[in-house]
Amino acid sequence: MDLIRTYSHIIRKNLDNPERAFKFIKFGLDAALKYVSLFPDRRLPQALGFLNKICLKNIKEPLCHPENSIWVNIFAPTEFLHAMDIYPLFIEAYSSFMSGFLIEGNLIDRAESSGISNTLCSFHKVFIGSGEFNILKKPKMAITTSMACDANINTFRYMAGKYNIPLYIIDVPYEYNRDSLEYVKKQLKEMAVLIEEVFDRKLDIDKLREIVIRENQTKTLINEYIENLRQRCLNSTMSFELYMLFTSHVFIGREDTLNFYKMLAEDIKRAPLRSGGGIFFIHLPPMFEVSFKERFNFSRDFHLLGCDLNYDFLEEVEYREPFEGIAKKLILNAYNGSIERRIEALSNIIDRIEPDGIIQFCHWGCKQSIGCTGMFKDYLKEKNIPFLAVDGDVIDRRNNQHGQAKTRLEAFLEIVKRR
Amino acid sequence: MTGYVCKYTPVEIIRAFDEGVCRIEPKVKSVEKAMSLTHPNMCSFMKGALEEIIRENINEIILVNCCDSIRRLYDILRGKVKFIHIIDLPRKITGSAYSLFYRELLHFIGAYEAYKGKKFDLNKFKKVLAEHKMENACKGKCVAVFGGRLNDGVIENIKRRCNLDVVNLTCTGISRPSKVGQEGDLIFSYAKALLNLPPCMRMAEDRSKLLDDLNLKGVIYNTVKFCDFYSFEYTSLKKTSNIPILKIETDYSDSNSGQVLTRIDAFLESLGVKRAIAHPVKSGYFAGIDSGSTSTNVVIIDENKNIISYSTVPTGARALGSAREAYRIALKKAGLKEEDIAYAVSTGYGRINIPFSNESVTEITCHGRGAFYLDKGVRTVIDIGGQDSKVIRLDDAGNVVDFVMNDKCSAGTGRFLEVMSRALEVSIEDMARAVTDFQEDIVITSMCTVFAESEVISLIARNKDRNDIIRGIHQSVASRAVSLLDRVGRSGKYMMTGGVAKNKGVVCEIEARICEKIIIPFEPQIVGALGAAVIAAEKRQE
Repeated sequence: MDLIRTYSHIIRKNLDNPERAFKFIKFGLDAALKYVSLFPDRRLPQALGFLNKICLKNIKEPLCHPENSIWVNIFAPTEFLHAMDIYPLFIEAYSSFMSGFLIEGNLIDRAESSGISNTLCSFHKVFIGSGEFNILKKPKMAITTSMACDANINTFRYMAGKYNIPLYIIDVPYEYNRDSLEYVKKQLKEMAVLIEEVFDRKLDIDKLREIVIRENQTKTLINEYIENLRQRCLNSTMSFELYMLFTSHVFIGREDTLNFYKMLAEDIKRAPLRSGGGIFFIHLPPMFEVSFKERFNFSRDFHLLGCDLNYDFLEEVEYREPFEGIAKKLILNAYNGSIERRIEALSNIIDRIEPDGIIQFCHWGCKQSIGCTGMFKDYLKEKNIPFLAVDGDVIDRRNNQHGQAKTRLEAFLEIVKRR
Repeated sequence: MTGYVCKYTPVEIIRAFDEGVCRIEPKVKSVEKAMSLTHPNMCSFMKGALEEIIRENINEIILVNCCDSIRRLYDILRGKVKFIHIIDLPRKITGSAYSLFYRELLHFIGAYEAYKGKKFDLNKFKKVLAEHKMENACKGKCVAVFGGRLNDGVIENIKRRCNLDVVNLTCTGISRPSKVGQEGDLIFSYAKALLNLPPCMRMAEDRSKLLDDLNLKGVIYNTVKFCDFYSFEYTSLKKTSNIPILKIETDYSDSNSGQVLTRIDAFLESLGVKRAIAHPVKSGYFAGIDSGSTSTNVVIIDENKNIISYSTVPTGARALGSAREAYRIALKKAGLKEEDIAYAVSTGYGRINIPFSNESVTEITCHGRGAFYLDKGVRTVIDIGGQDSKVIRLDDAGNVVDFVMNDKCSAGTGRFLEVMSRALEVSIEDMARAVTDFQEDIVITSMCTVFAESEVISLIARNKDRNDIIRGIHQSVASRAVSLLDRVGRSGKYMMTGGVAKNKGVVCEIEARICEKIIIPFEPQIVGALGAAVIAAEKRQE
């Protein structure tokens, strides 16, 4: 831990020198990748060790090769990028890594002192703060969707303007119907043309189909993993649940992602049977919050069963018509549309994995999620599943009240245990 | 009566049904009912609207898929009101967006027909559309209100205070679509016209030209608490535009609060467009009265602006009583009577309630003027008082050209230091020294005074050294001040005013962060009153 503090101190000291700050960040990612390769954590199942490596690699590549990269949000249709060998920089994940390096406070303060609202989601503020310090290199373009989160369009528009790069916004309507499908499909085509122009390379539609086929194979494995979660549980940490957002979203369709889920599907079959209370998270688990780490990481008393964001669209995508298939996937995402859709998806996953308790960590600034709390509560009461909503921040440590979070969590787990 | 919130609502369609329609404009002071149904960190407008809908028993509501908060408002209200409908509004203006929006309008008409049990009448709709007239654009110099929605009361207040035209460019001031094409399907043309209203920040369309045709003297930019859309545009405008711009943050429970109006007054004063009330000025002595949250200060000067006397008394629970007392002491020290004072200007939070002053001017203008009077080289004033902190940028003539204030919270102010001194059981004077013999870097991470107090208590419980905690507290106040400073941009010389300027520890920490020396006047608490007295004296010269 002290090593990380020293390293963080060095980056912080160099934030006003973007070149040096960037070098230190790159060095940190390199060192982390080497470390996990040379000294894998023996407690981890094979799949998660592999996941650790691919995530570090996937965050490093676009940072080191900005000329072949695109900034994207979590829901962006990156199948097109994989088909064209372009690196996506997954901005929410980038911000999580900066928080891992303990520099999130400085980046957030910088964004806020530029005038950005302090109530904006911290994932976005960290990304904007990096832009204000100029420690992010200029990518070729940026792509965002309007789905689920209000911040997307504005954060990307602000950053694309600042870096003077083309931005493509995919507006995803609320309802699924013939016109909305057509609307999104047309945008995907426009986006593909823009990528072709910016990168001066052609999209090979067959390669795109291959990516989608691989995405569907991956979905089959995810569903297999879910079926096994009902009885078994991996020895894991909250960070790995968040790492899985790389493979369930931005990097789905890639070979290494498919390999990860093959390993995961095997690992879960060999994993020990569930012996304690199984806890499922709505939205995201707070990977840096001490009281949660103590209770869930590598714990056999309370098992971490996952978070619903990793399971927001479990169906196959039509590979013969990839534009239409991907458009449908975007509109029908559980995080898009009214609360009924989200609750239906939650209900589906609850029936399959049978958790003993559900926690919604109300991430600072995330209106789409915190606005649902009352409705989740009512629904889970009906289902007779204990539910806890606790306020905090997944990446800005300063927004977390450890004592309060700990008391709430402990009391909740006592309820779960009693049942 | 059907309630709606967004300008993209097909209001004309509802009117064509011969139904009443009103924009929900929350006027509630508290949102306790809304808080029981949603999370406290949801957008203030949404919470206000929810409260208003429940209290006023509004049973028919039409929403637009505006933002995360309004989407959740829809989810919450379903099943709780008789009729609710959400329209899926595209964010782009393209051919397929028109088709999508057209479909949504037809879908709405169907739902409304079913609910009302009557048919939509196209001829009536034509008549409703024909009633619309184009509003004339403002041609002369004006002040624009831009950004997030702002309630009518604040707009009215700005108009009353400003001697130029005030143009409301927020979504509450946008006129209805006036040019609806009559060819082809009328609903389709209407969908097109509605979608082409000036875009809000929720849209993917360009807003950069919206201010272009106006002859602007200044822009008041509003953001709504817990709505993040507009801070982006403010940040960009601030960087790229040469037009003076003031940011205000409102929250729909007390948008017309003294804090918001103080900012607006100070801004209009700095633009020279504040509507003034003329009073005859005699020759003689001039007084400035600063009725602050912690202390009340009075300064008396003569015609040549020499300081004759000053006084400082704690404000306590009665602002007017303290102002009278401070005025009495200052007059006594100067050997003057009340009738010797030719003109008095009041400033500070209590400024409007001082019966013996001739005029009130905001503390922002007064601190700027007072600091400039003391040192003509000063370009930046950092004022940290008992309740708020601000940074004021001056031009070469001592006029305020820009300023920022802390948000509605006492973090980084004198109150913060008072609370901490109580928690640490040291006097405020003892806490004011610079800590040089520290052992450990302690960072107070909580931004809110209340949480920071708990944090300090837990540090005490962990037996941390008191000196180190005090240093952490100084750093916390300094870091808030520097963050405000960075919002207006750094420019020397610097002067610090207000009670906290007496705290050497905080001053040293700010100096260390900005690598510049800060001038501390002989009595930092009276600078606002001094500025008010100087303004009073200048009335005579005018």
